[in-house]
Amino acid sequence: MKTQLAIALALGAVTTAALAGPIEEQIRFRQSAYSFLGWNTAKIKAQAADHPETFNKDQVIAAANAIAAVANSNLLELYGPGTDQGTGWKPTRLKPEYFQKQAEVKELEATFIKEANELQKVAEDGDVGEIKAQFGKLSASCKGCHDLVRVRE
Amino acid sequence: MKVEVHVWDWPLRLFHWLLVAAVVGAYWTGKVGGEWTDWHGRFGSAVLGLVVFRLVWGFVGSTHARFANFFPTFSRIAAYIRGEWLGAGHNPLGALAVFALLAVLAILAGTGLFANDDIAFEGPLFDLIDKDLSDKLSGWHLRSVNVLLILVGIHVAAILFYQHVKKAGLIGAMLTGKKQLPRSLAPADAKPAGPIRLIASIAVALSVVWGVWGGEPLQALAKLAGVQNVQAGNKL
Repeated sequence: MKTQLAIALALGAVTTAALAGPIEEQIRFRQSAYSFLGWNTAKIKAQAADHPETFNKDQVIAAANAIAAVANSNLLELYGPGTDQGTGWKPTRLKPEYFQKQAEVKELEATFIKEANELQKVAEDGDVGEIKAQFGKLSASCKGCHDLVRVRE
Repeated sequence: MKVEVHVWDWPLRLFHWLLVAAVVGAYWTGKVGGEWTDWHGRFGSAVLGLVVFRLVWGFVGSTHARFANFFPTFSRIAAYIRGEWLGAGHNPLGALAVFALLAVLAILAGTGLFANDDIAFEGPLFDLIDKDLSDKLSGWHLRSVNVLLILVGIHVAAILFYQHVKKAGLIGAMLTGKKQLPRSLAPADAKPAGPIRLIASIAVALSVVWGVWGGEPLQALAKLAGVQNVQAGNKL
Protein backbone atom coordinates (compact mmCIF):
# COMPACT_ATOMS: atom_id res chain seq x y z
CA MET A 1 0.00 0.00 0.00
CA LYS A 2 2.76 2.36 1.05
CA THR A 3 4.79 1.43 -1.98
CA GLN A 4 1.83 2.11 -4.22
CA LEU A 5 1.36 5.50 -2.63
CA ALA A 6 5.04 6.28 -3.07
CA ILE A 7 4.88 5.25 -6.72
CA ALA A 8 1.76 7.32 -7.24
CA LEU A 9 3.41 10.36 -5.64
CA ALA A 10 6.59 9.86 -7.63
CA LEU A 11 4.60 9.49 -10.85
CA GLY A 12 2.64 12.61 -9.96
CA ALA A 13 5.83 14.58 -9.46
CA VAL A 14 7.31 13.30 -12.70
CA THR A 15 4.11 14.08 -14.61
CA THR A 16 3.97 17.62 -13.25
CA ALA A 17 7.58 18.21 -14.22
CA ALA A 18 6.99 16.64 -17.62
CA LEU A 19 3.92 18.78 -18.23
CA ALA A 20 5.82 21.93 -17.39
CA GLY A 21 8.56 20.75 -19.71
CA PRO A 22 12.26 21.51 -19.84
CA ILE A 23 13.66 24.69 -18.39
CA GLU A 24 13.58 26.76 -21.55
CA GLU A 25 9.99 25.76 -22.16
CA GLN A 26 8.88 26.75 -18.67
CA ILE A 27 10.56 30.12 -19.05
CA ARG A 28 9.00 30.63 -22.48
CA PHE A 29 5.53 29.70 -21.21
CA ARG A 30 5.70 32.07 -18.28
CA GLN A 31 7.10 34.91 -20.36
CA SER A 32 4.23 34.39 -22.78
CA ALA A 33 1.76 34.42 -19.90
CA TYR A 34 3.05 37.81 -18.72
CA SER A 35 3.00 39.27 -22.24
CA PHE A 36 -0.58 38.14 -22.59
CA LEU A 37 -1.37 39.63 -19.16
CA GLY A 38 0.25 42.87 -20.33
CA TRP A 39 -2.02 43.08 -23.36
CA ASN A 40 -5.06 42.73 -21.14
CA THR A 41 -3.92 45.00 -18.30
CA ALA A 42 -3.04 47.70 -20.82
CA LYS A 43 -6.60 47.54 -22.15
CA ILE A 44 -8.10 47.98 -18.69
CA LYS A 45 -5.66 50.72 -17.74
CA ALA A 46 -6.46 52.61 -20.95
CA GLN A 47 -10.22 52.23 -20.74
CA ALA A 48 -10.83 52.55 -17.00
CA ALA A 49 -8.01 54.86 -15.89
CA ASP A 50 -6.32 56.94 -18.59
CA HIS A 51 -9.15 57.43 -21.08
CA PRO A 52 -12.46 56.63 -19.36
CA GLU A 53 -14.26 58.16 -22.33
CA THR A 54 -13.20 55.08 -24.32
CA PHE A 55 -14.62 52.65 -21.73
CA ASN A 56 -16.11 49.60 -23.39
CA LYS A 57 -17.69 47.24 -20.87
CA ASP A 58 -17.50 44.12 -23.03
CA GLN A 59 -13.83 44.61 -23.81
CA VAL A 60 -13.01 45.26 -20.17
CA ILE A 61 -14.92 42.14 -19.08
CA ALA A 62 -13.07 40.09 -21.69
CA ALA A 63 -9.74 41.47 -20.48
CA ALA A 64 -10.58 40.87 -16.80
CA ASN A 65 -11.65 37.29 -17.60
CA ALA A 66 -8.37 36.69 -19.40
CA ILE A 67 -6.37 38.10 -16.48
CA ALA A 68 -8.27 35.96 -13.97
CA ALA A 69 -7.79 32.88 -16.14
CA VAL A 70 -4.03 33.40 -16.29
CA ALA A 71 -3.86 34.20 -12.57
CA ASN A 72 -5.71 30.97 -11.74
CA SER A 73 -3.64 28.80 -14.08
CA ASN A 74 -1.06 27.76 -11.45
CA LEU A 75 1.70 29.90 -12.91
CA LEU A 76 4.10 28.76 -10.20
CA GLU A 77 4.30 25.36 -11.93
CA LEU A 78 6.42 27.18 -14.49
CA TYR A 79 9.04 28.04 -11.89
CA GLY A 80 10.69 24.63 -11.56
CA PRO A 81 14.18 24.08 -10.18
CA GLY A 82 16.87 25.60 -12.36
CA THR A 83 14.57 28.08 -14.07
CA ASP A 84 16.42 31.04 -12.57
CA GLN A 85 18.91 30.47 -15.40
CA GLY A 86 18.03 30.11 -19.03
CA THR A 87 16.42 31.72 -22.01
CA GLY A 88 12.85 31.55 -23.16
CA TRP A 89 11.91 34.28 -25.62
CA LYS A 90 14.69 36.18 -23.86
CA PRO A 91 16.89 35.50 -20.81
CA THR A 92 14.87 35.05 -17.65
CA ARG A 93 14.98 37.72 -14.97
CA LEU A 94 14.12 35.39 -12.10
CA LYS A 95 16.35 35.90 -9.07
CA PRO A 96 17.89 32.72 -7.59
CA GLU A 97 16.46 33.85 -4.22
CA TYR A 98 13.06 32.86 -5.61
CA PHE A 99 13.65 29.33 -4.36
CA GLN A 100 14.39 30.47 -0.82
CA LYS A 101 11.41 32.81 -0.64
CA GLN A 102 8.68 30.27 -1.26
CA ALA A 103 6.46 31.37 1.62
CA GLU A 104 6.41 35.00 0.44
CA VAL A 105 5.99 33.93 -3.18
CA LYS A 106 2.97 31.74 -2.34
CA GLU A 107 1.43 34.57 -0.40
CA LEU A 108 1.99 37.01 -3.27
CA GLU A 109 0.46 34.53 -5.71
CA ALA A 110 -2.60 34.18 -3.46
CA THR A 111 -2.97 37.98 -3.37
CA PHE A 112 -2.59 38.18 -7.14
CA ILE A 113 -5.30 35.54 -7.63
CA LYS A 114 -7.61 37.23 -5.13
CA GLU A 115 -7.24 40.67 -6.80
CA ALA A 116 -7.65 39.19 -10.29
CA ASN A 117 -10.86 37.39 -9.24
CA GLU A 118 -12.16 40.58 -7.66
CA LEU A 119 -11.35 42.54 -10.82
CA GLN A 120 -13.37 40.02 -12.79
CA LYS A 121 -16.32 40.69 -10.47
CA VAL A 122 -16.17 44.48 -10.61
CA ALA A 123 -15.72 44.36 -14.39
CA GLU A 124 -19.04 42.52 -14.60
CA ASP A 125 -20.63 45.27 -12.48
CA GLY A 126 -19.24 47.84 -14.92
CA ASP A 127 -18.51 50.75 -12.54
CA VAL A 128 -15.50 52.54 -14.05
CA GLY A 129 -14.33 54.02 -10.74
CA GLU A 130 -14.43 50.65 -9.01
CA ILE A 131 -12.64 48.96 -11.89
CA LYS A 132 -9.91 51.58 -11.73
CA ALA A 133 -9.51 51.16 -7.96
CA GLN A 134 -9.44 47.36 -8.21
CA PHE A 135 -6.98 47.57 -11.08
CA GLY A 136 -4.72 49.56 -8.75
CA LYS A 137 -4.82 46.72 -6.24
CA LEU A 138 -4.08 44.16 -8.93
CA SER A 139 -1.09 46.12 -10.22
CA ALA A 140 0.22 46.47 -6.65
CA SER A 141 0.18 42.67 -6.41
CA CYS A 142 2.22 42.48 -9.65
CA LYS A 143 4.74 44.90 -8.14
CA GLY A 144 5.05 42.72 -5.04
CA CYS A 145 6.60 39.94 -7.10
CA HIS A 146 8.66 42.26 -9.31
CA ASP A 147 10.24 43.81 -6.22
CA LEU A 148 10.86 40.46 -4.54
CA VAL A 149 12.14 38.04 -7.16
CA ARG A 150 12.80 39.90 -10.41
CA VAL A 151 16.28 41.00 -11.47
CA ARG A 152 16.68 44.69 -12.32
CA GLU A 153 17.78 45.31 -15.87
CA MET B 1 29.58 90.14 17.62
CA LYS B 2 27.09 88.59 15.25
CA VAL B 3 24.74 90.25 12.86
CA GLU B 4 21.68 88.96 11.07
CA VAL B 5 22.22 88.49 7.38
CA HIS B 6 19.62 87.72 4.77
CA VAL B 7 21.09 84.78 2.87
CA TRP B 8 18.32 82.75 1.23
CA ASP B 9 15.61 84.56 -0.72
CA TRP B 10 12.06 83.21 -0.72
CA PRO B 11 12.15 81.49 -4.15
CA LEU B 12 15.13 79.43 -3.00
CA ARG B 13 13.49 78.51 0.31
CA LEU B 14 10.21 77.67 -1.39
CA PHE B 15 12.14 75.58 -3.91
CA HIS B 16 13.87 73.67 -1.13
CA TRP B 17 10.72 72.72 0.78
CA LEU B 18 8.70 71.96 -2.34
CA LEU B 19 11.54 69.67 -3.40
CA VAL B 20 11.40 67.92 -0.01
CA ALA B 21 7.67 67.39 -0.46
CA ALA B 22 8.00 66.21 -4.06
CA VAL B 23 10.85 63.80 -3.29
CA VAL B 24 9.07 62.33 -0.26
CA GLY B 25 5.89 61.98 -2.32
CA ALA B 26 7.73 60.38 -5.23
CA TYR B 27 9.60 57.99 -2.95
CA TRP B 28 6.49 56.91 -1.09
CA THR B 29 4.28 56.47 -4.17
CA GLY B 30 7.11 54.59 -5.87
CA LYS B 31 7.34 52.19 -2.96
CA VAL B 32 3.61 51.59 -2.70
CA GLY B 33 2.88 51.37 -6.42
CA GLY B 34 -0.54 50.15 -7.51
CA GLU B 35 -3.13 52.91 -7.62
CA TRP B 36 -0.45 55.44 -6.53
CA THR B 37 1.69 54.84 -9.60
CA ASP B 38 0.12 57.72 -11.52
CA TRP B 39 0.93 59.98 -8.58
CA HIS B 40 4.51 58.77 -8.75
CA GLY B 41 4.60 60.21 -12.27
CA ARG B 42 3.15 63.49 -11.02
CA PHE B 43 5.56 63.82 -8.10
CA GLY B 44 8.39 62.91 -10.46
CA SER B 45 7.26 65.69 -12.81
CA ALA B 46 7.32 68.09 -9.86
CA VAL B 47 10.88 67.01 -9.08
CA LEU B 48 11.80 67.53 -12.73
CA GLY B 49 10.33 71.02 -12.79
CA LEU B 50 11.98 71.97 -9.48
CA VAL B 51 15.38 70.70 -10.56
CA VAL B 52 15.15 72.58 -13.86
CA PHE B 53 14.15 75.70 -11.96
CA ARG B 54 17.13 75.29 -9.64
CA LEU B 55 19.54 74.81 -12.53
CA VAL B 56 18.35 78.04 -14.14
CA TRP B 57 18.29 79.81 -10.76
CA GLY B 58 21.89 78.71 -10.25
CA PHE B 59 22.86 81.06 -13.06
CA VAL B 60 20.40 83.94 -12.79
CA GLY B 61 19.20 83.77 -9.16
CA SER B 62 20.16 85.66 -6.03
CA THR B 63 23.79 85.83 -4.86
CA HIS B 64 24.05 82.70 -2.71
CA ALA B 65 21.90 80.63 -5.06
CA ARG B 66 24.39 81.00 -7.90
CA PHE B 67 26.55 77.97 -8.58
CA ALA B 68 29.61 80.10 -9.33
CA ASN B 69 29.42 81.54 -5.81
CA PHE B 70 29.50 78.23 -3.99
CA PHE B 71 30.99 75.74 -6.44
CA PRO B 72 33.08 73.40 -4.25
CA THR B 73 36.50 73.96 -5.77
CA PHE B 74 39.43 72.13 -4.27
CA SER B 75 40.89 75.29 -2.75
CA ARG B 76 37.56 76.22 -1.12
CA ILE B 77 37.18 72.73 0.38
CA ALA B 78 40.77 72.81 1.64
CA ALA B 79 40.23 76.24 3.18
CA TYR B 80 37.03 75.04 4.83
CA ILE B 81 38.75 72.01 6.35
CA ARG B 82 41.53 74.27 7.70
CA GLY B 83 38.80 76.43 9.22
CA GLU B 84 39.73 79.38 7.04
CA TRP B 85 36.68 79.49 4.80
CA LEU B 86 34.66 82.71 4.97
CA GLY B 87 31.26 82.82 3.39
CA ALA B 88 27.59 83.22 4.05
CA GLY B 89 25.89 80.70 1.74
CA HIS B 90 26.50 76.95 1.36
CA ASN B 91 29.84 75.97 2.87
CA PRO B 92 32.05 73.96 0.47
CA LEU B 93 31.15 70.56 1.95
CA GLY B 94 27.46 71.46 1.93
CA ALA B 95 27.94 72.54 -1.67
CA LEU B 96 29.19 69.05 -2.54
CA ALA B 97 25.93 67.68 -1.13
CA VAL B 98 23.88 70.24 -3.07
CA PHE B 99 25.47 69.29 -6.39
CA ALA B 100 25.33 65.57 -5.67
CA LEU B 101 21.66 65.75 -4.69
CA LEU B 102 20.76 67.81 -7.75
CA ALA B 103 22.66 65.38 -9.98
CA VAL B 104 20.99 62.26 -8.62
CA LEU B 105 17.55 63.89 -8.74
CA ALA B 106 18.19 64.93 -12.34
CA ILE B 107 19.13 61.31 -13.13
CA LEU B 108 16.03 60.01 -11.37
CA ALA B 109 13.70 62.44 -13.12
CA GLY B 110 15.46 61.94 -16.45
CA THR B 111 15.39 58.13 -16.40
CA GLY B 112 11.83 58.19 -15.04
CA LEU B 113 10.65 59.97 -18.18
CA PHE B 114 11.60 56.89 -20.22
CA ALA B 115 10.88 54.21 -17.62
CA ASN B 116 8.25 51.48 -17.45
CA ASP B 117 7.24 49.12 -14.67
CA ASP B 118 6.09 46.20 -16.85
CA ILE B 119 2.69 46.59 -15.22
CA ALA B 120 0.76 49.67 -16.22
CA PHE B 121 3.15 52.62 -16.08
CA GLU B 122 5.12 54.18 -18.88
CA GLY B 123 6.99 57.45 -18.51
CA PRO B 124 5.80 60.26 -20.78
CA LEU B 125 8.76 59.81 -23.18
CA PHE B 126 8.66 55.99 -23.18
CA ASP B 127 7.51 55.91 -26.80
CA LEU B 128 10.67 57.66 -27.97
CA ILE B 129 12.95 54.68 -27.21
CA ASP B 130 12.73 50.91 -27.53
CA LYS B 131 11.54 48.68 -24.71
CA ASP B 132 14.95 47.14 -23.95
CA LEU B 133 16.49 50.57 -23.39
CA SER B 134 13.50 51.59 -21.28
CA ASP B 135 14.01 48.45 -19.15
CA LYS B 136 17.66 49.37 -18.64
CA LEU B 137 16.81 52.96 -17.71
CA SER B 138 14.15 51.66 -15.32
CA GLY B 139 16.84 49.54 -13.64
CA TRP B 140 19.10 52.59 -13.30
CA HIS B 141 16.16 54.56 -11.98
CA LEU B 142 15.73 52.02 -9.17
CA ARG B 143 19.46 51.85 -8.43
CA SER B 144 19.64 55.65 -8.23
CA VAL B 145 17.06 55.55 -5.46
CA ASN B 146 19.65 53.89 -3.21
CA VAL B 147 22.14 56.64 -4.01
CA LEU B 148 19.48 59.23 -3.23
CA LEU B 149 18.71 57.62 0.13
CA ILE B 150 22.39 57.67 1.07
CA LEU B 151 22.79 61.32 0.05
CA VAL B 152 19.62 62.40 1.86
CA GLY B 153 20.83 60.52 4.93
CA ILE B 154 24.19 62.35 4.83
CA HIS B 155 22.46 65.68 4.16
CA VAL B 156 20.05 65.33 7.09
CA ALA B 157 22.73 64.00 9.44
CA ALA B 158 25.04 66.90 8.56
CA ILE B 159 22.26 69.45 9.06
CA LEU B 160 21.46 67.94 12.48
CA PHE B 161 25.16 67.99 13.37
CA TYR B 162 25.42 71.67 12.48
CA GLN B 163 22.17 72.37 14.31
CA HIS B 164 22.97 70.66 17.60
CA VAL B 165 26.75 70.40 17.79
CA LYS B 166 27.97 73.48 15.92
CA LYS B 167 24.84 75.51 16.80
CA ALA B 168 24.72 76.93 13.29
CA GLY B 169 20.92 76.96 12.97
CA LEU B 170 20.82 75.94 9.32
CA ILE B 171 17.22 74.70 9.52
CA GLY B 172 16.01 78.09 10.74
CA ALA B 173 18.03 79.73 7.98
CA MET B 174 16.27 77.64 5.33
CA LEU B 175 12.91 78.65 6.87
CA THR B 176 13.46 82.37 7.50
CA GLY B 177 16.29 83.02 5.06
CA LYS B 178 18.38 84.63 7.81
CA LYS B 179 21.68 83.55 9.33
CA GLN B 180 23.59 84.92 12.30
CA LEU B 181 27.07 85.64 10.96
CA PRO B 182 30.19 87.33 12.34
CA ARG B 183 30.22 91.04 11.63
CA SER B 184 33.37 90.52 9.56
CA LEU B 185 31.26 88.72 6.96
CA ALA B 186 28.65 91.47 6.75
CA PRO B 187 27.35 92.94 4.60
CA ALA B 188 26.67 89.61 2.95
CA ASP B 189 22.99 90.12 2.24
CA ALA B 190 22.03 88.30 -0.91
CA LYS B 191 21.45 90.53 -3.88
CA PRO B 192 17.93 89.55 -4.90
CA ALA B 193 17.09 88.58 -8.45
CA GLY B 194 14.33 90.63 -10.02
CA PRO B 195 10.81 89.40 -10.84
CA ILE B 196 11.62 89.02 -14.53
CA ARG B 197 14.42 86.55 -13.82
CA LEU B 198 12.13 84.67 -11.44
CA ILE B 199 9.26 84.50 -13.90
CA ALA B 200 11.64 83.43 -16.67
CA SER B 201 13.12 80.65 -14.49
CA ILE B 202 9.67 79.36 -13.55
CA ALA B 203 8.57 79.56 -17.20
CA VAL B 204 11.53 77.44 -18.30
CA ALA B 205 10.75 74.83 -15.61
CA LEU B 206 7.06 74.68 -16.45
CA SER B 207 7.78 74.48 -20.19
CA VAL B 208 10.04 71.48 -19.71
CA VAL B 209 7.46 69.62 -17.62
CA TRP B 210 4.60 70.54 -19.92
CA GLY B 211 6.75 69.67 -22.93
CA VAL B 212 7.60 66.14 -21.80
CA TRP B 213 3.92 65.44 -21.15
CA GLY B 214 3.08 66.26 -24.75
CA GLY B 215 2.22 69.92 -24.41
CA GLU B 216 3.83 72.35 -26.76
CA PRO B 217 4.78 75.49 -24.83
CA LEU B 218 5.93 77.53 -27.81
CA GLN B 219 2.77 76.88 -29.76
CA ALA B 220 0.67 77.76 -26.71
CA LEU B 221 2.60 80.99 -26.23
CA ALA B 222 2.10 81.75 -29.90
CA LYS B 223 -1.59 81.10 -29.44
CA LEU B 224 -1.70 83.41 -26.44
CA ALA B 225 -0.05 86.03 -28.57
CA GLY B 226 -2.72 85.45 -31.20
CA VAL B 227 -0.26 84.13 -33.78
CA GLN B 228 -1.62 80.70 -34.45
CA ASN B 229 -4.44 78.57 -33.18
CA VAL B 230 -2.99 75.16 -32.37
CA GLN B 231 -4.32 72.87 -29.69
CA ALA B 232 -1.62 71.42 -27.47
CA GLY B 233 -2.23 68.00 -25.98
CA ASN B 234 -1.69 67.39 -22.29
CA LYS B 235 -1.69 64.01 -20.58
CA LEU B 236 -1.24 65.46 -17.11
